[in-house]
Amino acid sequence: MKDLAVRLAALDPDAGAALHVIAYFDRLAEARAGLHTIVRGAAVLSGCAARLVDDERRVRIRVEPDGASTPSGVRDKDWISAAAGSATLWLERSGPPGPVDAMVLERAAAAARAVLERTRGHAAQADPALVELVIDAGAAEPLRLQAAARLGFNPDDPVRVVALGSGAVRLLPEPGGLPEGRAGVGPAGPVVRLPASYEGAVLALRFTAEGTESDPGPRVVHADELGGLALLAAAVGPGTEPVPDQRALDRAAATAPWVLATLDAVARSASLRAAATALRVHHSTLQDRLAHTLPVLGWDVRDPQGRLRLHLALALRRLHNNQR
Amino acid sequence: MTNVLPETAAGPPPPFDPELGAALAVIGEQMPPALTADMIQPMREGALLADLTDDDLARAGAFTVTRRQVPGPAGDPDVELLILTPTGATTPLPAIYHTHGGGMVVGNNRTGVEVVQDWAAEVPSVIVSVEYRLAPEHPHPAPVEDCYAGLVWTAEHAAELGIDPERIVIAGASAGGGLAAGVALMARDRGGPALLGQMLLCPMIDDRNDTVSAIQMAGRGVWDRTANDTGWTALLGEARGGADVSPYAAPARATDLSGLPPAFVDVGSAETFRDEDVAYASAIWRSGGQAELHVWPGGFHGFDMMVPQAAVSQDARAARVRWLSRLMGM
Repeated sequence: MKDLAVRLAALDPDAGAALHVIAYFDRLAEARAGLHTIVRGAAVLSGCAARLVDDERRVRIRVEPDGASTPSGVRDKDWISAAAGSATLWLERSGPPGPVDAMVLERAAAAARAVLERTRGHAAQADPALVELVIDAGAAEPLRLQAAARLGFNPDDPVRVVALGSGAVRLLPEPGGLPEGRAGVGPAGPVVRLPASYEGAVLALRFTAEGTESDPGPRVVHADELGGLALLAAAVGPGTEPVPDQRALDRAAATAPWVLATLDAVARSASLRAAATALRVHHSTLQDRLAHTLPVLGWDVRDPQGRLRLHLALALRRLHNNQR
Repeated sequence: MTNVLPETAAGPPPPFDPELGAALAVIGEQMPPALTADMIQPMREGALLADLTDDDLARAGAFTVTRRQVPGPAGDPDVELLILTPTGATTPLPAIYHTHGGGMVVGNNRTGVEVVQDWAAEVPSVIVSVEYRLAPEHPHPAPVEDCYAGLVWTAEHAAELGIDPERIVIAGASAGGGLAAGVALMARDRGGPALLGQMLLCPMIDDRNDTVSAIQMAGRGVWDRTANDTGWTALLGEARGGADVSPYAAPARATDLSGLPPAFVDVGSAETFRDEDVAYASAIWRSGGQAELHVWPGGFHGFDMMVPQAAVSQDARAARVRWLSRLMGM
């Protein structure tokens, strides 16, 4: 008597079962059921665990087919999913989909989207004034905590600040997915540490690159991973004269369009062979390119000291390009 | 308690819980609210009440499954007891004596026993589920007397069954809840086995079938007023709703509810039995007894068994286990 998924599976998936799925979620929507109920419906009707995640709105719901709510683990890329506005709904099925899976996903995602828009339509995250306040070291701590609470964060929640290339700032609960685009990511910490995380994020953003041929390098940089390089940032302001190694880099770049991308790959790869693979060129081609570059650059990037000089020159070049 | 309100005084039916209502849209087609006499036989044969197998009952070795034929009421056939014993118990366990549901007209001693097994998984207990004769072929008092006879045998053979005779709880849902309440009254009146508690889940206890909730829910949900009429008429025939109905058949008829073991009563707010069950708990309190009453908002009859995943069902099931573990001192 108890298994709705079994009942549905026994029906004709094209007509009977689909109608039941539609009726189920329509009834939930009419009764203004909440997100947990909708996700539970997806799990119960499909017979496999379902999860809804909306990083911006800090929604994270996972329900087992027996109706129990359980913490979310690692996502599997094979699961089927559907967008529910800014959220994503997954059915945690890796094998072949069940007869009603697609319909369940579609209707549950639509129902979840409606609830999200109704109940969290003005996502607190979208209020830049509150975000500005929580990352402002000059604001009083109680004010910052209050603003964080209105954004949906408890004081002890681990949160990061993400500084985007567009100039926007996002708060990212830990663990959470990064937004699209160039980003500097500050360290995770409690809410009171957000101003420091913001400093880190802005600093890290200066070490990012477009990831193109003319501006090769990482599009996302974590402040946590900068180490001593962070100190360089303070040394490079708008009026700072480039050091000779950076000028040499610019000169080399002017000789051929592939020079910067090639040098960046050499700097970031564990070996020349790995660099060639990353560049999708033959090992001997890479050797030829480095032979071409060496006289212009004036030092050999293949020995350890030369690699360090290359690293620093690339970093200084990004810091020059990316002023605050 | 007789309802004195005219039918028109009942307001609209309370809404179903959203999640339960949505599930009912899926279940509804296979479970019409109304049941008439001509549907009894098809229901007995139908796949809806598919039996659990012995393998299902054993739950991968968690329970030992046995069956015993034990003496029925004087002059009547034996009754079959289905006995599920948790494996590996070294001391006498509490017992849950189960009277199954099915409107007095369908079901067998495996019906609904999986719910009791879920409790026993948390509050280790021996489950004894009684096979009683069904109406209309066997009207009152056959069903309740069969249940009583099985309880008497169980209590007398407690040692042999690994049961602590001081901790026997009787439990049943729907018609089984009515039978459990009736057996508890019998045990009190006949000086029979001392029960530790009575667990009455959405019990069917009032043959008059005229409460506000019975009227409100006509044609809606599961087991409506028509179905209830079918069940009671099968059990009592012409006597249904009349002046001379035994409280052992319809415990709502009892005028004295003192001296009973503590009761757990639960029921949905959107079902036929709501008001008779609330009244029964109130009558127990009025008589100086102990009862724990849960009215689950928007629940239809048997909601927790048909839609166990729903949030309100999970709460209802958890409340029962908590009551049992408090009662049994675990």
